[in-house]
Amino acid sequence: MTSQTPIYEARNISKSYGSVDALVGVNLKIHAGEVVGLVGDNGAGKSTLVKCLSGAHQPTSGQMLLDGKEVEWKTPHEAIEAGIETLYQESGLAPDLSVSSNVFLGREELVKGPLGRLGFLAQKSMDKKAHEDLERVGIAVPASNRAVSQLSGGQRQAVAIGRAVSWASKIIILDEPTNHLGARQAGEVLNIIERVKSEGFGVIFISHTLPHVLQVTDRVAVLRLGRLVADKPTSEFNSETLLGTITGLIGE
Amino acid sequence: MDKAKFNAKGLLRNQQVILLVVLFAMAAFFTSQNSIFLTNAVFGNIISDWVPLVLIAIGETFVIISGGIDLSVGSAVGLSGIIAAFSMRYFTAHNMTDNLSLTLGLLISIGIGAVVGLVNGFLITKANMVPFVSTLVTLGAARGLCIVLTAGGPIADGPSNAIDLSVPKVGPFSYPGVAVLGLVIILGLFMHKARFGRYTFAIGSNAFAARSAGINVNRHLVKIYALSGALAGIAGMYFYLRLGVGSPTSGQSGELNAIAAVVIGGASLSGGVGKLLGTALGSLILVTVTSGLIIIGVAANWNQVVVAILIAAAVFSQGIRTLGKKNK
Ligand SMILES: Nc1ncnc2c1ncn2[C@@H]1O[C@H](COP(=O)(O)OP(=O)(O)OP(=O)(O)O)[C@@H](O)[C@H]1O
Ligand SMILES: [Mg+2]
Repeated sequence: MTSQTPIYEARNISKSYGSVDALVGVNLKIHAGEVVGLVGDNGAGKSTLVKCLSGAHQPTSGQMLLDGKEVEWKTPHEAIEAGIETLYQESGLAPDLSVSSNVFLGREELVKGPLGRLGFLAQKSMDKKAHEDLERVGIAVPASNRAVSQLSGGQRQAVAIGRAVSWASKIIILDEPTNHLGARQAGEVLNIIERVKSEGFGVIFISHTLPHVLQVTDRVAVLRLGRLVADKPTSEFNSETLLGTITGLIGE
Repeated sequence: MDKAKFNAKGLLRNQQVILLVVLFAMAAFFTSQNSIFLTNAVFGNIISDWVPLVLIAIGETFVIISGGIDLSVGSAVGLSGIIAAFSMRYFTAHNMTDNLSLTLGLLISIGIGAVVGLVNGFLITKANMVPFVSTLVTLGAARGLCIVLTAGGPIADGPSNAIDLSVPKVGPFSYPGVAVLGLVIILGLFMHKARFGRYTFAIGSNAFAARSAGINVNRHLVKIYALSGALAGIAGMYFYLRLGVGSPTSGQSGELNAIAAVVIGGASLSGGVGKLLGTALGSLILVTVTSGLIIIGVAANWNQVVVAILIAAAVFSQGIRTLGKKNK
């Protein structure tokens, strides 16, 4: 593990939904070029932590530091602007919009000139670039002007991943990205993770498929009932000890 | 489907084409029953009814695509029209020229409509009320204000040339009608070619996705409801021109006609889907039915039954078309 400052760090994060304590004093560090696995049982708090890190929710208490500087996200927009892209577990795509409209959602290209100032869209150019972006990421999707609702579950997931990977500049958070995917496509996602890692991004990878976690991560953080119960290099785990830590059969 | 395989089945999946067919069939039927239907006077009347309806129906289309509903548009028409009427009466009494007073009247009417829409927007985004309830509140409040402010009577003594403006000049269109037609086209471009529309569709399709893509969903919703209100304000002024007075009952049950037009036009009440052209045609079908039934001598109350059947048919055909899509 590197000793330089992490690009992203969560310190002592707690989050309650009413009376439910979804996270209690959680710490997590992500370095550039590092893939951190985040695992835990259903309801352990993984998605909640993701939402705090991505600005979708605000933690009840705790600090977040980006490049060593404290940050606070009031909206997902602020986190996006800072270079953090997130693939959420629940669909982050608008099914009635086309593939390219989804890839460009929230950062549409406008036509040049006065019409652009009125908000008119450069749709052709976005269609083309979305196609190129997804191809560059290694994701084969059908025509980028097709509605997302007409894609298969796996294709949708691919678009969502492509969207996150093509816009991120620092951190990519993937909450169960291999959901709905066949074995081959899941393998492609793992390849994508390895590639963005080599490009220097910090990646948080959430999955219930432990072999994937062991294969692709550098470090694994384990959440149980909202608490961080382990955070160690992946090499110190095998599938049995990781499963034991998740279920609580192996204490910390 | 690619262009080479463009066929009759594909055409029938296109809601706009179906609407046009329905429209022509209706016109042919009414004409066969009473040839008076095919005259400029009747068309002029139909267009005069269409203009205010299409204005509020377009606002309603943006709202419904965003996943909401605006029940207040009819009341906003009434309230903006009478406040404008009061203002223009005051301006006229103070010797302002007719044209200036009409211009100010229009701006005031738009402003009042927009205020009603802003109230809706704030109730929805700040007070977290569902659109159905918040716009029900403003529906009641605005209509109540209309009656209170006017004691139920018309507000007259405005600019004397107002009513001239509602006379057809360009085919069946009056000059304000032509302006509204232009506005309809511009709003269509904003809905389907510009970011404003894109965000509207995105929010109605998946609000979570829109928010996590960095869109300020609440701010956009406030804009949409304000737009809906402002368009109702223009409709309020249009009724003023048509009647030559401000009437507290203008726009009454306009919300129902607007929603009917939107649904007939093919938008989905669950949000994310809709076309402005569909709404424009849906509005045209509604006003054509109303005029046609009167002309062929059917009792006025049948109108509601026919409209109900049209709505049911539209929703039914929508179901069929989505099935067709899913089976592909
Ligand atoms: N919006 C919410 N409102 C109330 N409680 C919530 C909300 N979101 C999550 N929770 C609760 O917080 C806890 C953590 O949920 P979270 O979604 O973070 O779990 P997770 O680790 O992602 O689980 P999974 O593996 O099933 O995705 C759960 O008890 C859940 O019921
Ligand atoms: Mg989760």
